[in-house]
Amino acid sequence: MKDCRQVKNELVAYLSQELSEGQRVEVEKHLQGCLACQRELEEWKKVFHLVSEVKEEAQTVASSIDWSAEASRIVNNTWKPIQKQPEKKRRWSFPGWRWQPLAAGLSLGLFLGAILTYLLITTGQVRFSSRQPDSSINLPQGFVEKVDLELARKQTIGYLETSQYLLSELLNSQKPENLSSLLTSEKLREVLTEKKYLNNRLEDLRLMKAKNICDQIEMLFLELLQLSPQMSEAELEKIRQLVEEKQLILKINLVKKELEQGEV
Amino acid sequence: MEQKQVKLEEKEIASLVERIKQGDREAFMRLVESYQQKVFVVTYSLVRNREDALDLVQETFLRLYEKINSFRPGENFQGWLMQIARNLSIDFLRRQMVRKKESLDELDLDREVMAGAQSDPARFNPGQMLQKAVHLLPPRQKDVFILHHYEELKYEEIARRLKISVGTVKSLHFKAMQRLKEILAPQLGGNQ
Repeated sequence: MKDCRQVKNELVAYLSQELSEGQRVEVEKHLQGCLACQRELEEWKKVFHLVSEVKEEAQTVASSIDWSAEASRIVNNTWKPIQKQPEKKRRWSFPGWRWQPLAAGLSLGLFLGAILTYLLITTGQVRFSSRQPDSSINLPQGFVEKVDLELARKQTIGYLETSQYLLSELLNSQKPENLSSLLTSEKLREVLTEKKYLNNRLEDLRLMKAKNICDQIEMLFLELLQLSPQMSEAELEKIRQLVEEKQLILKINLVKKELEQGEV
Repeated sequence: MEQKQVKLEEKEIASLVERIKQGDREAFMRLVESYQQKVFVVTYSLVRNREDALDLVQETFLRLYEKINSFRPGENFQGWLMQIARNLSIDFLRRQMVRKKESLDELDLDREVMAGAQSDPARFNPGQMLQKAVHLLPPRQKDVFILHHYEELKYEEIARRLKISVGTVKSLHFKAMQRLKEILAPQLGGNQ
């Protein structure tokens, strides 16, 4: 026969229907003759009742829910994240995921490099072809030469005109001190420099006549440069004679005329 | 309301789990339909709010899928699912109480119960007190309490689930109930 202490320890299991048949009979036998344990049992019943009320409340609320709709809602709301799961796993399973930024940078670099190389090769081909006679710039044959010659002609005329002015100044001056500012050593140097640039142009056979006169003028101006500014009257006279002797002014005029007419 | 709650055989569960692993939406739907009400009763009993409980049911199935690859045939599927629901609900309550700045102190709870019982019995909500009291139980006592009262498991099944002896289950259950009785006794009109 169980005592009160033993029975009180079994009351929770008794109300939970967790006692064996023999134990249950023993507890019930004790309860019949023990008011204290009966009161204890009543108290436990209140606690059990409260707990079961909460459970019943849950079941009542559950019975008011449309579970078919709820299942659809649950599946709809959870299936999307679920579908993302394999992607997530693949990303994490990639061993070199830390190097992804570097790989992306390298890929971008390679891509841009490939584009640049392609463009350079393409441009290079254009350049190669431009070196060939039939280039992409289809200029008529001999056109460039003609342009060059025309430029040389114009420059030569310019040079001859300047020289003509200077020589006129020289011929018209009676005394060395009267030489105008036109025939300064600075001016002579300018003309000589112009002749230097002109030399290449005058290499053309068609400008040989012009080259001859231009060279003579150059020599004269070099002489003048050496004499100027302390030029004696005799020296000036000597130069004048030289100019007249060689008929420089006349030759200049003739060559100029030829050049202007394009008969070079 | 339409109640579609079918008890699934172990073989059928294993088949459904396998199909879900391969991305079968219908299999997942069938599993949800079979267990959602059971899960709801547990989540509602713990949080006592319809919407929160439904959200927790959804969260439970989401977690279930996330861990579906770790499930092995022959394991207790329902026990596993309910454990997820239980843990999620307990976490939810903890967060909720912290958010509401409700006291988690047992002494405060006792004082609250006493004050409620003495001042205004009509306003006192024993269900709410029980909810708090359950939440304050030590983890193992709480597990046994929930498994026995909300999941309606016998001591033997609880012992298997928690891998403890039936005697230990009996002892933990008794201690849990004793604690709840102590807290709720003033309102229930009995002696402590």
